[in-house]
Amino acid sequence: MSSPVLTIEDLRVSVEDKEIVKGLSLQIKGGEIHAVMGPNGTGKSTLASALMGHPAYSVTSGRVTLDGEDVLAMSVDERARAGLFLAMQYPAEVSGVSNANFLRTALNARRGEGNELPVIKFHRLLQQKMKDLNIDPSFAERYLNEGFSGGEKKRNEILQMSLLEPKIAILDEIDSGLDIDALKLVADAVNQLRSPQTGFLIITHYQRLLQYIVPDYVHVMMQGRIVKSGDKTLAEYLEANGYDTLKRELGIVDETVGAEA
Amino acid sequence: MSIKTSAHSPLVADLASRFQEAPWLVQQRERAFALYTSMPSPKLEKTDLRDRPWLVESIPSATTGGAGAAAQALLEGAKAAGGAYVYVRDGVTIETSLPHSLAKQGVVLLDLHTAVDQHPEWVRRHLYSVVPAEESKWAALNAALWHGGVFVHVPSGVRLELPIHFIYEETMTGKGGLPRSLIVVEDRASLSFAEAYLCHGERQEGVVHSAVTELVVGPDADVTAACLSRYGKGPTNFFTRRAKLADNASVDWVIGDVSDGFTVGLVESRLEGPGSKSTTRSFGVGYGRQRLDFTASMDHFGHHSESDITLMGVLRGRASSTYRSSTHIERGADEASSEQHDRMLMLGSRAQADAIPMLLIDENDVQRCGHAASVGRIDENQVYYLMARGIPRAEAERMIIWGYLQPLVDAFPVEPWRSEVASWIDGELNLR
Repeated sequence: MSSPVLTIEDLRVSVEDKEIVKGLSLQIKGGEIHAVMGPNGTGKSTLASALMGHPAYSVTSGRVTLDGEDVLAMSVDERARAGLFLAMQYPAEVSGVSNANFLRTALNARRGEGNELPVIKFHRLLQQKMKDLNIDPSFAERYLNEGFSGGEKKRNEILQMSLLEPKIAILDEIDSGLDIDALKLVADAVNQLRSPQTGFLIITHYQRLLQYIVPDYVHVMMQGRIVKSGDKTLAEYLEANGYDTLKRELGIVDETVGAEA
Repeated sequence: MSIKTSAHSPLVADLASRFQEAPWLVQQRERAFALYTSMPSPKLEKTDLRDRPWLVESIPSATTGGAGAAAQALLEGAKAAGGAYVYVRDGVTIETSLPHSLAKQGVVLLDLHTAVDQHPEWVRRHLYSVVPAEESKWAALNAALWHGGVFVHVPSGVRLELPIHFIYEETMTGKGGLPRSLIVVEDRASLSFAEAYLCHGERQEGVVHSAVTELVVGPDADVTAACLSRYGKGPTNFFTRRAKLADNASVDWVIGDVSDGFTVGLVESRLEGPGSKSTTRSFGVGYGRQRLDFTASMDHFGHHSESDITLMGVLRGRASSTYRSSTHIERGADEASSEQHDRMLMLGSRAQADAIPMLLIDENDVQRCGHAASVGRIDENQVYYLMARGIPRAEAERMIIWGYLQPLVDAFPVEPWRSEVASWIDGELNLR
C-alpha cells in the first residue's frame, strides 16, 4: 500500500458569506503528524469541517487533493470512503441506531461492496478495539452518542477512527473535555495507528495533547492563515511564552478572523 | 328455522335473519341504527367529516378470491406463531383455528356470530359495554351492522403463552368493513393478541370502514394488544379500540398504521381499577395524500393508576397527520401518574404533522404527569455525521428513520408480523 498524500492549496472557506479561512496551504503525508494550533476564532475548526465537506462551509477557492483525487468534487460520504476521517468536536446523537450497527455500516461502506466484514468478525474486532480504548462493552448496544458524556463521545470518535483506519485523520479538538487518563488513551490510539499508511492533522488549543502525541510539524493559525510553522519545539515555545509573544513578533494585534480588516 | 324480527332497517333485518340472531341483539342493533341515522357527520377539532358521504349498502354474504399478499403473509405468521387465529374477509369468516393446547385450558376463540349463539350470557353482558353505540356516528354504525368479528374469552388464571391473531381483510368487493372484536380476559389471566385490519384500496369513494375492538380486562389480568392497519385511499376509515381495566389489571397497546387513507382513530384505556396500568406505543407511517386523525387516550379513574403514551409518526408525500395524546385524571384517581411522548418526522416539504398533547387533571393529588412533543424534519447534522463515516445519504436517512421506528416495531409481540410491517414501511418510504 502506498503512502497517502493530502494536499491543500490556497484554500479559502466562507461561512454565511464571511470568509474564515483565507488562503491556506498544507501538505500532509502518510506517517506524518501535523498539529494546527492557535487561539479560538482563528479558523482551525472551519478548516477541518471544510475538508470533510460540511454543507454549511463553502469553499470559495483553492484545491484539495487526496492522492491526486479532487476531494472538493466529492460528497461527504465519498470523502470518507476515499480515506478522510474527521473526529468531530460535537458529534451528533442518533436515537434508535445502536453504536454497533452504525459502526458496522460505516466500516462496510468504507470496505466497499462485496468486501463486507462478516458479522462475527466485526464483533470480535469491535470488542478488541473497545477493550484497547477501555470502553465498556455495553457501549456497543447503546444508541449512537445518545446520553454519552463529553469524554465518551470523544472516545467513540477515536474508536471509529481506529476501526476505519483512514488515510488521513483529522482530529478537531479531541482533547477538549478529556481528563488526563482519557487523554492518554486517545493518544495511545493515535500512536498505535501511526504508520506510513496514515497521516494526521491534529487541531488543538493546547500543547498538553502534544506531550503524548509528538507532532512532526506544528503550524500556528491566526486570522484564517498559517502564520508560523515549525517542529515540536514551536509547541513548547508557545506553551512557555503564550500566543501573545508570537503575536507581537508577527505584528498581529487581534488574531481572530475579521480583526485584520 | 327462521325467527321473526321487528327490525325496521332492512340491513339489520338482513343480518338478523342471516345469523338467526336473538331478539336482544336485534334490538340493540335497531337502537344503534337509529342513533347512526340521527347523528350528524361531525366537524372534529382537526378533521371535517361533514362533506364525507356515508355509503352504507347491502352487506355481502360471500367473498371471492384468495387472501391478498399482506393477508397471506400475516396468516402464515399466525400459523408459525402457534396457530391461534381467525381470518375474516369482507365480513365473512373464512377460517377459525384454535390449537388444542389452548382449547384444553378453556380458552374460547370464535367468530362473534357463533359466540352470540354458543355463549349468549358472556356476549350479552360484555358486547357494547366498552364501546357503546352512543359515542360516535361510526361507533353507532358498527354497533348496528357489525358482521364478521371475533370473540375471545380467557378464563380466570389462565396465562396464555401463545398469541392469538385476528386478520380482517377488506377487498374491493366489500361494501365497507364493520368488524368487531370482543375480548374478555378474566381475573389473573394473561393474553397477547395481534389484530390486523387490511384494506385493499384504490378509490371506493363513500365507502365507510368502522372497526371496533372491545377489551374487558379483569382484576390482576394482563393483556398485550397489538393492532396493525393498512388503509387505502378512497373510503373513510374509523377505528375505535378501548380497554376497560379492573383492579391491578394491565394493558399494553402496540399500534401500527401504514396507510394513505382517510382515517379517524381512537385507542383508549379506561383505568377503572385501583393500581391498573396501561401503555400505548404507536407508530404511524403516512404517504400519498393520507389524512390521519389519531387519538391515544388514557382515562384514569382508579387510585394509583399509571399510564404512558409514546406516539411516533413518519410522513412523506402530502400526508397530513394529527397525533393527539390525551390523559384525563378524573377526580378520585389520586396518586395517578402519566407520561406522554410524541415525535413526528416529516420527510419532504409537503408532509404535515401535528402533535397535540392533552392533559386534563381533575384530581389534586397526582404523582407525576408529563409530556414531551416534537415535530420536525430529518436532522441534517445527523445525516452529515453518518455520511462523514462513509455512509451514503439514502442509507443514512434510512438509518435515522428506522432509529425512530425500530423500538416501536420491536414492541410488536409477533415476530413474523414485525418483519411484514417492516417491509411495508420500507416499501412505502422508498427505503428499500
